[in-house]
Amino acid sequence: MPIREKGYTHWDGEFQPKKFFWWPITRYGIKLTFKKKFFKFVFFMTLVPAVVYLAGIYVSERLDDFSFMIRESAPLLQVNPVFFKSYFTSEFLLFMIVIIMLFCGAGLISDDLKYNSLQLYFSRPITKKDYFIGKSAVIVFFLSILTLIPGLIFIVMKLIFSGSFKFLASYPWLPFSVIGYSAFLTCFFAFYTLFLSSVNKNRRYVSILIFGLYVFSDILFGIFFGIFGKQYFALLSIKVNLQQVGACLFGQKTPYHVPWFYSVLIITGICVLAVSVLKKKIKGVEIIK
Amino acid sequence: MSVEIRDICFSYGKIKALDGIDLSLPKGAVGLLGPNGAGKSTLLRILLGFLTPDRGEGQVLGYDIKTQQAMIRKFVGYMPEDDCLIPSMDAVSFTSYLGELSGMPRQEAMKRAHEVLFYVGLEESRYRNLETYSGGMKQRLKFAQAIVHDPKLIFLDEPTSGLDPQGRKEILELIMDVSSKKDIQVFVSSHILSDIESVCSYVVILNKGKLASQGKISDLKQINYSLYEIKTKGDSEDFVKRLRDLQCKVEETQDGIMKVYLPPDKGPQEIFKLAAEGKNQIRHFVKSQTSLEDVFASLVGVD
Repeated sequence: MPIREKGYTHWDGEFQPKKFFWWPITRYGIKLTFKKKFFKFVFFMTLVPAVVYLAGIYVSERLDDFSFMIRESAPLLQVNPVFFKSYFTSEFLLFMIVIIMLFCGAGLISDDLKYNSLQLYFSRPITKKDYFIGKSAVIVFFLSILTLIPGLIFIVMKLIFSGSFKFLASYPWLPFSVIGYSAFLTCFFAFYTLFLSSVNKNRRYVSILIFGLYVFSDILFGIFFGIFGKQYFALLSIKVNLQQVGACLFGQKTPYHVPWFYSVLIITGICVLAVSVLKKKIKGVEIIK
Repeated sequence: MSVEIRDICFSYGKIKALDGIDLSLPKGAVGLLGPNGAGKSTLLRILLGFLTPDRGEGQVLGYDIKTQQAMIRKFVGYMPEDDCLIPSMDAVSFTSYLGELSGMPRQEAMKRAHEVLFYVGLEESRYRNLETYSGGMKQRLKFAQAIVHDPKLIFLDEPTSGLDPQGRKEILELIMDVSSKKDIQVFVSSHILSDIESVCSYVVILNKGKLASQGKISDLKQINYSLYEIKTKGDSEDFVKRLRDLQCKVEETQDGIMKVYLPPDKGPQEIFKLAAEGKNQIRHFVKSQTSLEDVFASLVGVD
């Protein structure tokens, strides 16, 4: 292979000011996720409930036109905080978010650990913070498409279809609930996924951990609840904790008789644990003392 | 001086990896030598800001190694020793991605990636997935990513490890080219002494975390000792012991020849005197040309 056919030339450009050093990491993470087999199909499937709910909003404003279809189910088509809560805390959506995490999040750090690429990142002028923001922004991107954007579109479409601001006047806090719960879900799943992605170099094991921990926590709750009948065992389940907080943020009764802030504490605890593990795991060189 | 450090100490727990290192590196290619565990990689990592020294201070390109690591990394290229890549990428994306992470604008990073891949001889395989690259290609790619942002200083950690002779020659040619014609300073850490000798004019030798020696290779070869090749008949063990008592370092080769490193204050007649006392017959006595290998052996020991 010939070397220096064209010779080495100095670069006469200028470095960009340090603002969004994490952006290339995010862009590459998103690009790589879309390249994955079946991802587009799974992602499309995850968006189906949003499309159905959007159709529901349209139909709710045209009840007379669709009366032949609706019959007894008109009460279900009332667009109110319950409608939003049912979208955001639906088991299907939460389950599909976990599946999306397997595609976009499992390899985010584990691949870098496996291929020794952390030293390549940190030999550049990026900090741990840039690296972490870059990686978590990949998760934020996909979860925003599944939570924040549909939530805001629902509100906007309701206003457009109804042709008045009556809906917003009745529930002025609803946009904040949508933003708040989307941020809560996104934040939790970003920490949860990156944490598990940093504990093993093998992406498959990480995928099993992400999926297994979510499902296992729910099964554990089911077993204990079945044996002892205490509602407090709901705190063992990641899914239920997320639903409890969701119900509270949308001004609804929590599904279990457990104070919602206990769930917030548990989710926060997981995030704090994730931060401390990530701090130890993400470094340019492995130091064994 | 591009690199200047004073009294650098670093420990991994109870093990002292670096102990009071003082360095001032001149321009051009500088070699970093030392046996395994001498502290070479630790020193490079401290200079890059991966590790913070327990004690001491220093500057790389005028930036403080403790407080201005980001600035150092902006103007320094690093070629790590280990195999490292970013999966599911081709060479162009990989190189331009790392250029972007250095702060280059996206379009320019892409253009520059093509240029450096041509330069290192990977132009034909630049769109191939990195996971299919051979060891030699990965080394070239690591070199390409180290120079993509046109650094002023490059740290190369074992750049020729795992390469066949042709691959080694080509990487060494690249190192020589950038250091001699392109005004880029190179700091090469290597176990292969002949590589350092062929590329660098200045060398730093570490041993057990301490600075064993530093200077121009030509100077080091002359001033430190005289090297003699000797073949004897008689009790060679006793003769070697006597030589060592005389502060000589002795290396025995497989073909029965002893390499004797004589301290500057001793003359060759002392060797003959010892041989006579021990009734050893000297059958071969040649003043040898010193190589960097001999300098290294005399400084860090021949074990």
